[in-house]
Amino acid sequence: MKDALQPVAAVLHNIVPMATDNHIFSFLPEQPMALAPGQFVEITLPGVGSFPVSACDQVRDGLITACIRRAGRVTEALYQLEMGDVIGLRGPFGKGFPLELFKDQDALLIAGGLGMAPLRGLLQALLDDPHRKARIIVLYGSREPEALLFREELVELSKEAQIEVRFSVDFAETLPSLDDRVVCKIGLVNELLTDLNFAPRQTVAAVCGPPALYHCILEELALIGIPAAKIFATLERRMRCGVGECCHCVAAGRYICKDGPVFSLEQLRTMTEAI
Amino acid sequence: MTDFLSPNYLLTPSTLDTLADAITKLSPLAPQVNADGLCRLQPLSEGVLSSQALSSFVPLKKVFLPPREKLWSFQSGQFSALKQPEPFAVVGVPLCDLQALWYLDQVFADDLPYQNRRARALVVGMPCEQDKECRCDRQLMPLAGDLFLDQEHAWALSPAGEALLRACGAGETTNKPLPWPTASAGTRPMLTEEQYRSAADAAIWAEAAKGCLSCGACSVVCPTCYCFDMLDESATDGSVTRNRSWDNCFFAEHAKVAGGHDFRSGRANRLRFRMEHKFFGFGALHGQNSCVGCGRCRTVCPVDIDLDQIATRLSGEELA
Repeated sequence: MKDALQPVAAVLHNIVPMATDNHIFSFLPEQPMALAPGQFVEITLPGVGSFPVSACDQVRDGLITACIRRAGRVTEALYQLEMGDVIGLRGPFGKGFPLELFKDQDALLIAGGLGMAPLRGLLQALLDDPHRKARIIVLYGSREPEALLFREELVELSKEAQIEVRFSVDFAETLPSLDDRVVCKIGLVNELLTDLNFAPRQTVAAVCGPPALYHCILEELALIGIPAAKIFATLERRMRCGVGECCHCVAAGRYICKDGPVFSLEQLRTMTEAI
Repeated sequence: MTDFLSPNYLLTPSTLDTLADAITKLSPLAPQVNADGLCRLQPLSEGVLSSQALSSFVPLKKVFLPPREKLWSFQSGQFSALKQPEPFAVVGVPLCDLQALWYLDQVFADDLPYQNRRARALVVGMPCEQDKECRCDRQLMPLAGDLFLDQEHAWALSPAGEALLRACGAGETTNKPLPWPTASAGTRPMLTEEQYRSAADAAIWAEAAKGCLSCGACSVVCPTCYCFDMLDESATDGSVTRNRSWDNCFFAEHAKVAGGHDFRSGRANRLRFRMEHKFFGFGALHGQNSCVGCGRCRTVCPVDIDLDQIATRLSGEELA
């Protein structure tokens, strides 16, 4: 029996600042670790604590990469570390996005704020599929233009016609000058859907954002015509153990860490109070 | 349930002596009433096996899921592994706590620290005297443990228990059922999950939660409450120990995430959460009522909150 509460030592390999208080950290674990899009690891800083995070990239050369916001006590301590420091990793935990469902289907990725991080992991998995021909549409809303994560990369991918991108920002005096192909509006991310030309019946949607985003957008996607079994959301909770024991993450009688964190709208409809 | 599967042996005085010797060699823990009037699970003081179970203030779970246990330590960039516990025994366990043990065995089926202790423990149940707060129900769930002993019979609850009985000379079997207390299970409320879910806005939650102090005593003494947190402790030599400690779903931080969002804000929500867990179970144990009816939570609550009373009101029955 494996001890799921025992971390594997990992070296902080690289830190790439992206936006204020949103850096990309990569870690090299002592033993290779698999981590699918939407799954998560628990990052342990010995003496400080631990927190759950999804990857923002595929595992490449053994590296686990995550975009981590400086949001609390433990992430604050992470921001003080230097390359070469040793941390602990536990995982992978949970069920991620069902990649097989995305095959031959258009992908509609909708992110709010930091929700772009796990969806960027999914996006990388889709882009890594050499046989993929279907569309990838990214709708991404943020508070202000400067807070849009992976903005340059998304614009580049759009220029290369690999993906289609639409941004929305809550507040902006002036909108950033992006490529002509990239739509950018002031407003909420669901408003990006209104004149979007796509085929709902052959689309799989993945949504990630703050709780408020889920209240409106999941059912809106179903109304537009995407089947509820093909609309996915990844839920945030206080995940401590990762293996369905400690009870902090429970919603609607289910361990979000183990049964999720990715759920379909079809599942969420039966999960009272989960969203 | 387990009654029908548990082989029962007649105990001769010499077999009982041999068995008692074998068990006392395992430095057993037993429920004992101290001078302060509290019953605690503690090392058997005189080396003489008791003949009766007692309901300890803090239940059997503390032996397998200690209130605080070391999970690992970290020094010079290395994480250390767990130490294996020594074999031990727990005796004088009441039947309701053996059910609770079965429940925890399911929850922690893949938990190495828990299973290490379980694998090295001999758990021995004994007949109990029914208390006015007892509402046990033999049909609720199976029993865990290894042996059940009265002075004339022994029931094998596990292969290890059976092997020990045979090694101690037990041979003649009978069909005697386990001596469950005779309390009527009819006193337990019949609340369906549908009733519970449709009563999310019922006034009783706010009413009951108004008195609740969030002290969490009910969860501490509950034999099937198991939520935990993991906290680090740093020593002056630079080493770090991660401890697993009991947590409590009544505490304000329980469902709060970084950034401050609370997924179960307010006492009423937290009370409702505890009720859901107790009566309907989470994850693979969904559908399993885990209130074994020991009555500890009712006894300990400083403001007399009684989940059974809330359940009775929600299910539309009149209070007896």
